Amino acid sequence: MKNQIQRALKAGLVFGIVTIFLFLIGFPSTAADLLASLFRNKTAGPVFGLPPLMFNLLVFLGLIGLWAGANGSHADKEQADDPWVPALIGGLIAGLVHGLLVGGLALLIGTLDADGVKISAYLSALLPAAIKLFLLETPPMQAAVIYFILMTLAGLLGGLLSRGIPRGAWQTHGKAAWSGLQEKISRQPLVKQARGHRYTRYIVYGILILLVFLLPLKAGQYWNYTIGTVGIYVLLGLGLNIVVGLAGLLDLGYVAFFAIGAYTVALLTAPQPHHLMWSFWIALPIGIVLAAITGLLLGAPVLRMRGDYLAIVTLGFGEIIRILSKSDVLTSFTGGPKGVNTIGTPILFGKPFNASAFVYLIFLAVLLVIFVTNRLQNSRVGRAWEAMREDETVARAMGINLLTQKLLAFAIGAAFAGLGGVIFASRNLFTGPEDHNLMVSINVVAVVIVGGMGSIPGVIAGALVLKGLPEVLRQLEDYRVLVFGALLVVMMLWKPAGLIPSARRKLDISESGVTDTPQEGREA
Amino acid sequence: MPNVPPTARRVTTYKIIQGIIGVVFSAYLIWRLLVITILNPTYGPDTWARFAIAGLVLGSVYALIAVGYTLVYGILRMINFAHGDIMMIGAFGGYFVFEALKNVPAPTPADPNLTFLNAHPTLSVIAAFLVGMFVAALGGYFLEKIAYRPLRGAPRLVPLISAIGASIFLENAGQLMFGTQRRDYFNPAVLTRGEGWGIPIGESTVILTYTGVLTVIVSTVIMILLYALVMRTRLGRAMRAVSENKQVATLMGINVDGVISNTFIIGGALAGAAGVMWGIHLGLVYYFVGFIPGIKAFTAAVLGGIGNIPGAMLGGMFLGIVESVGPAMLGINFQLKDVIAFGILVLVLIFRPTGIMGEVLTEEKV
Repeated sequence: MKNQIQRALKAGLVFGIVTIFLFLIGFPSTAADLLASLFRNKTAGPVFGLPPLMFNLLVFLGLIGLWAGANGSHADKEQADDPWVPALIGGLIAGLVHGLLVGGLALLIGTLDADGVKISAYLSALLPAAIKLFLLETPPMQAAVIYFILMTLAGLLGGLLSRGIPRGAWQTHGKAAWSGLQEKISRQPLVKQARGHRYTRYIVYGILILLVFLLPLKAGQYWNYTIGTVGIYVLLGLGLNIVVGLAGLLDLGYVAFFAIGAYTVALLTAPQPHHLMWSFWIALPIGIVLAAITGLLLGAPVLRMRGDYLAIVTLGFGEIIRILSKSDVLTSFTGGPKGVNTIGTPILFGKPFNASAFVYLIFLAVLLVIFVTNRLQNSRVGRAWEAMREDETVARAMGINLLTQKLLAFAIGAAFAGLGGVIFASRNLFTGPEDHNLMVSINVVAVVIVGGMGSIPGVIAGALVLKGLPEVLRQLEDYRVLVFGALLVVMMLWKPAGLIPSARRKLDISESGVTDTPQEGREA
Repeated sequence: MPNVPPTARRVTTYKIIQGIIGVVFSAYLIWRLLVITILNPTYGPDTWARFAIAGLVLGSVYALIAVGYTLVYGILRMINFAHGDIMMIGAFGGYFVFEALKNVPAPTPADPNLTFLNAHPTLSVIAAFLVGMFVAALGGYFLEKIAYRPLRGAPRLVPLISAIGASIFLENAGQLMFGTQRRDYFNPAVLTRGEGWGIPIGESTVILTYTGVLTVIVSTVIMILLYALVMRTRLGRAMRAVSENKQVATLMGINVDGVISNTFIIGGALAGAAGVMWGIHLGLVYYFVGFIPGIKAFTAAVLGGIGNIPGAMLGGMFLGIVESVGPAMLGINFQLKDVIAFGILVLVLIFRPTGIMGEVLTEEKV
């Protein structure tokens, strides 16, 4: 019983703090808007006597309250025979605490607002309109009481709905249903036959590639741009995958090579600042080679470092390149903070590339990179990299030349980034220092990690999730980066091996996750 | 991990590269020293003193943040990438204290418009520091609890990525809550920025600002207290034991999780104090304020030998001074002062990965 109450209190507290945080970042108004497009009631008349947005806000808060109540009502093991008691008590307590916190916030903000304090000067999400919505256009005390009652009722209801189901029961249930479905499908004779056949894989790949090649014709300008961006991140991700996923060297300055590629094509093909105006097709290989050389140059001094030291040093390199490209010192050479405009586009058969042609170019590049990566991964070099990632000392004892292998990984990874940079700059017709900030590096690292280190399908999935999904959910644009950060943490807690882990990596992580100390101090 | 000696040939190549870089760099340094002192002195001694003072103040802020990195690294062997953002939380904590006290009237017969902030500046500053340290400590505690504790024992990259994610989350939460604009820290009148004691050097006077002196004094006091805490108290002894060997510490009856939590609370409080100092001395807070100081403080921690507390303090001071004196001394553009900090980081890691004072953890190689 005591544990039960404690757990309910904790659930109420956590949900209350989260709800307050959501208010402070202005999320409830956005959620009300989102719900309006779901219910299609934005312009409709009052719903249950309330303006539609206000109604939606209350629905949103009610849903959170339900969740809080359900969360607070997990039963003790010894009480499992009578699930109604914990459901009632837990849900009620969680709801009460939740309601107290939210109501308190409403009272505080309402009072401050009534006193004439300009809240939005301090908390920029709480604009006057948002405050008015939050207070339900009533006096603060009344709003606080409404919230208190709403959250308590929602908590109670949530508790009753979940009826003290033990924690994780839904997950177990879902998993069982999923594996049952899988089994059902694989029992079909057609599926069985197809799975056994050795050409099935190629047919599936063929259909996929065909679909992907038909897509740009159907998609409009905007979607082609988005697909292109995802493709460029796949390129970068595959390049970094070699450095991080295969060779195990965490590079946080990967954007430096991207910048080298972008600036090479910019300076060689743009009318400003050098008036070289070379063809894109000449600049492309030069950009790739220059990026690879930079990879060698940056790789050489940091070869002896491992793990997090390497991460910080490469981060430093990336920042150095960005600061240099921004500073007055190089303005005459790189265009300084303004960047370079009107970069040349590739011309094939006398026609300059448009958005969908760029998508094809990016697809081709991605296919090429996938081919190279795949061949490398299964070669002597790839095995050497993986050995190095697992244990440098043992790898050296096996006769692997760490110096060459690391430099090779850096150079090849850099070359891919250079390719990505060349295409990126040429497609945007512009490149500048802010295109190459730290966030790009972190994004690429996230693509590799979220997708699954060392796995090619993983990188593609990662790029789709991290770069494609946010484009679909444009209404949530303000919260993109926030969610991105949270997603990184959640991924590490939930699936450290990534969405589609490589077989080896999966094994590795699940092994080291079980025991704590023996792995102490080993490098990932 | 045993340190297997590499083959002789590789050592020579590496040593030769190191030697060449070293010689070129020292030659350039000596040449620049000659230029600025004898051949072509652009700046007088007063300007150099100004640079040095600014560097010392900046350095004492870096030192406080660097200690937080070093404490965490010493115990968990991980870079707490979000540490700079904890500093941001602290800076905002102090900011809100000043903003609130600015609006509390404390009228006296002499001045009916006096506010609490100006009537009791000492109390206000103390309150700002306490609140800033408290919220930052809270931030550090929850950061560890949510983002790092479940990952104990995972491969090393995993907590680092989680830390990067936490850092992005905190920065953007700050941006969404407080907006993108840079806010002025509203100091008490006695601590107006830029005012201070004038010291005559050469023909001109160099101003020793009140805010700067406050920063250096507070930082020094906090660091002495911290050193005493680590060296003299029970908690400090437990922290040292955990950083030495977690398993043995557990066997000795130390609550390792508790010690780690406390380490994050202490590190967070120090970062919070640094944030308030940053606000009081430099005056601007915004959601991204912690990022660059955070990275530089990490540089400072590496410079002093990571895991080594006095090293982090010295490293911070050194980095602050170099950053401020460096551009003029090396004869490069002032926009490139961040490049100097990163350049030092790279050079230190190439030549002396254990830092100036030596790494405390010897069993682990860079």
